[in-house]
Amino acid sequence: MKIAVSADSPDLNAKVGSRFGTSKYFIIVDRDTMDFEAVVNPGASTYQGSGVQAVVLVISKKVDTVLTGYCSPTAIGHLTANGIQVLAGVVGTVGEVVQMYKKGKLQQQPGVKSGLEAGVNKIDKTTLIHALSNSVNQIIRLLPVLTGVVLLIGLFSSFISKELLSSVFSGNIAIDTLLGASLGSIFAGSPINSYIIGGEFLEYGISLFAVTALIISWVTVGIVQLPAEMAVLGIRFALVRNAVSFALSLIIAILTVTFLTIIGV
Amino acid sequence: MSNRSTRKQSVMRMIYFPASVIAVYGIIFAFMPDRAFLALKSSGIIFSNIIIPLSLVFILMIVLNLFLKPAYIASFLGKEAGIKGIILSMTAGIISTGPIYAWYPMLKELNEKGAGSSSIAVFLNSRAVKPFLLPIMIAYFGCLYVAILTVFTITGSLVAGYIVGALVEKKMPKTNIS
Repeated sequence: MKIAVSADSPDLNAKVGSRFGTSKYFIIVDRDTMDFEAVVNPGASTYQGSGVQAVVLVISKKVDTVLTGYCSPTAIGHLTANGIQVLAGVVGTVGEVVQMYKKGKLQQQPGVKSGLEAGVNKIDKTTLIHALSNSVNQIIRLLPVLTGVVLLIGLFSSFISKELLSSVFSGNIAIDTLLGASLGSIFAGSPINSYIIGGEFLEYGISLFAVTALIISWVTVGIVQLPAEMAVLGIRFALVRNAVSFALSLIIAILTVTFLTIIGV
Repeated sequence: MSNRSTRKQSVMRMIYFPASVIAVYGIIFAFMPDRAFLALKSSGIIFSNIIIPLSLVFILMIVLNLFLKPAYIASFLGKEAGIKGIILSMTAGIISTGPIYAWYPMLKELNEKGAGSSSIAVFLNSRAVKPFLLPIMIAYFGCLYVAILTVFTITGSLVAGYIVGALVEKKMPKTNIS
């Protein structure tokens, strides 16, 4: 039986971490042998999604019980839904609290609900406020770049003539699609910007092949994010995935527009 | 790195681009005010075109945030092998939100725990389907185009997963963060 304890340092003498999502380590202790493994919490240094990463880590370690200072109701919900018992409000060193747990001296805190009770999909006032707050944050994060893109398109329309653009996008389907995919691969950010740019490109008479390739490669190919993807998932994976995705963006663009044309729109 | 400095970096990254564009506008206003007004007018038209779809996007975001939590999405990945695992990865990719770099730490963890390269590639590529952005996409390109593109994009993500799996499997780095 495995017990995960959030901790400030990687040993049994460490103090129990005050927050599940942002504790520096998880000490995974074998209840019977007291063998332990210290695992770095990838969420500890992350601005967003620390709880998510901690939940994923703990689930992947196949632990049975989590001991921590504080754990959010959402994290408790997902942990218990995966069969993991959560005991929050725990204070002491890792070694001490594991011994206390073994002796049955740690009790579930009042008000802590199980996964089903916490309800992944249950909507109450708190959940609604949380969802509203998240949505407002998402829109706020989206708006500055979106505003920049729209203002830039305004400048573009004021300075770049259709003739100039048609000298780049010549009307050759193969070359235009390739150009669209290349542009999408270079740019990054919310796909909403690719829709707006693509929509304006259509106004300029650029083919739907090029616009479609731009929209697809905008998300699936990332030249800017390539170093990060290589570091996280390996050089071979990142290079192969981006190359395959680039080729597929061309194929998807050609298939989509051809299909659209065939059914007469 | 502290949360405060990360937050500051994040905010700086968000405003850097629009601030640069506004600075360019300032320069153009000084030398070519007519062109600058024309550019602003064009931007205003684009804003007026997207304001209603953007409101719908906001409503869809609330709905998705109400029913889908990141940990719930994460629980889809790396749990199942085979076709079921691929379909779960695709679903996770479609319903995931936020910038891709926010998902990298989790993908790294899943990679280290043995999630297949196919599943991860399917997740990354199916992110091109954005349910909450559909109002904007439909406003610009129409329902039929969006429907066809969505079908081909989903199919494409599965094809990408298959090819990446065939070319990369067993060669993914397995590092231990313990």
